[in-house]
Amino acid sequence: MKSIALGLGAAIALSALAFLLGDYHNDVYRKLLLWIALALSYNFVFGICGQVTFSHFAFYGIGAYAIVILLFTAAFPLPLAIVCGVALCVALALAVAIPATRLEGFYLALATMAFAQLFIVVLNEGGAITGGTGGLASYRLPPVLGLDLSGRAYTVVIVLVLIGTAAVLRRVDHSWFGRACRAVRDNPEAAAAMGVDVARTKVIAFTLSSVLAGIAGMAYAFVDNTVNPPIFGLENAFLVLFMVIVGGSGRHAGAVVGTVLLYLLPFILSPLIGQHHALVFGVLMVTAILLQPRGLIGLYDRLARR
Amino acid sequence: MQDFLELAVGAAASGCIYGLLALSYLVMIRPTGVINFAVGEWAMIAAFAGFLLLTGAHWSYPLGMAAIVAFMLVLGWATERIAVRPLLDAGAPVLAPILALLGMLVVFRESISLAFGPDPRQVPYPFGFGRLELGPLAGSYQSFFMIGVSALVFGAAWYFFERTVWGKCFEAVALNRRAAALMGINLSRVTALSFAAGSGIAGVAGILIAPNISAHYLMGVPLAIQGFTALVIGGVGRVEGALLGGLLLAFAEQLTVRYAPVPAGYAQGVPLVLLMIFLIVRPTGLLRARA
Repeated sequence: MKSIALGLGAAIALSALAFLLGDYHNDVYRKLLLWIALALSYNFVFGICGQVTFSHFAFYGIGAYAIVILLFTAAFPLPLAIVCGVALCVALALAVAIPATRLEGFYLALATMAFAQLFIVVLNEGGAITGGTGGLASYRLPPVLGLDLSGRAYTVVIVLVLIGTAAVLRRVDHSWFGRACRAVRDNPEAAAAMGVDVARTKVIAFTLSSVLAGIAGMAYAFVDNTVNPPIFGLENAFLVLFMVIVGGSGRHAGAVVGTVLLYLLPFILSPLIGQHHALVFGVLMVTAILLQPRGLIGLYDRLARR
Repeated sequence: MQDFLELAVGAAASGCIYGLLALSYLVMIRPTGVINFAVGEWAMIAAFAGFLLLTGAHWSYPLGMAAIVAFMLVLGWATERIAVRPLLDAGAPVLAPILALLGMLVVFRESISLAFGPDPRQVPYPFGFGRLELGPLAGSYQSFFMIGVSALVFGAAWYFFERTVWGKCFEAVALNRRAAALMGINLSRVTALSFAAGSGIAGVAGILIAPNISAHYLMGVPLAIQGFTALVIGGVGRVEGALLGGLLLAFAEQLTVRYAPVPAGYAQGVPLVLLMIFLIVRPTGLLRARA
């Protein structure tokens, strides 16, 4: 009951903010909310379950492309398109996860990186279906239940996606499954000895976080009303990893802090160093791993305890 | 057949580059277990060093190449000092240095992009343009040069691992770190040496490939993926595996482009598909490590 009230309060506060911001800031704000949703779901598979994957952004792209293609090329009605898009994400995530999560450590990362790169190749070569290198553009979200969801009203949709993602992850994290995931991360042998099915835990964690990324991607498709291959490239897969590590992996609050910092940093830095903010990201990443493996949230914990 | 032989020289040359990158991964993975995804960026840095010394300062090719390799050895050692040794010393899980090196990858790439801008830079051929025919085999001077230099590097690596005491030290550390340390092998010296050597080898690959594709700040990650694919195909156990994997990958790529009835763009997917298949079906690679 308390958590429902908390979620509702957060939803109202975050939505209200959209109506206080100008058009440009509203656009920045929406993308920030989507990045937070992505970082939260990535934190589940990386921070909580301990699996390094680079396919997270590919699933974001799969969700975005799926909804656009289903709605406008295949002319599905919206609810059916959403259901089919989610089903596609589930099917692809399982197809990747079942063989790939047997791989240890960074080998999983490289297998999923190959999958993500292959997705980009398919997008570029997909001809009329994916729109090739130019992607798909100039479509509009049809009215939902007679409501025109554009502008700030659409920000409310994104807030709901974010709150939904956070609620699902919090719920799962606090269940036996969340504890199983942490056990798999910390010591797979011990987890197996305690009766945790390690392989199944990894597959479910990967699928859950990938599908949540896919749903965020569906919401993204109508933010700029265009989807194209560069948006879903490897760069951003690295960035979401950096966000989680800098913020503090394994902690929901860490994912949020890291995302807000790394997303807003370029806006502050661009007058100083132009387009080279990725250099700062790299330095932050190395510094975080060397000096503060628990990330900013770990730093906060230590200061708060004093 | 003529067509195939022509293609074979070019494919063997690219295969040698992939093999060198795979070897670079291998010399670091064997003793430490660290997959250093920044090898592609090392190759990129060497390519830009080639641009500076050979194109800019007009150094002679052998002198320039020696200077670049020396610089790469220092860079590899420095990378290990900054991003790997503190973590290994602190007993961090092996994933920590791997992720720190991903951070270094971004630092390397953005520093180069900051210094040289986004335009590709020309690096000269050591023997200029030209075509060499050796019986039925024909290809550019550069292709034969790439094959020759790679053969030297692989020969040296093979000799090092099979015939020298230091090579045996590497193998001992690969087999059992703790036992090796108890036998009096200096672990941190082996780790430092492996990163210096890895960087040097990646640097050679970078200088060799640079005249063909020009030095560009985004050239690193594709090379890193191709090199890793070659490593996975050949297996992380043996030096010959890296070369075999590189050659197989290059031939698979070139034959797909030339003969397979798919659009050229899909040929980029060949290393990716091979990487996924080998990781999942045969993670130990084609050649197994010697027991």
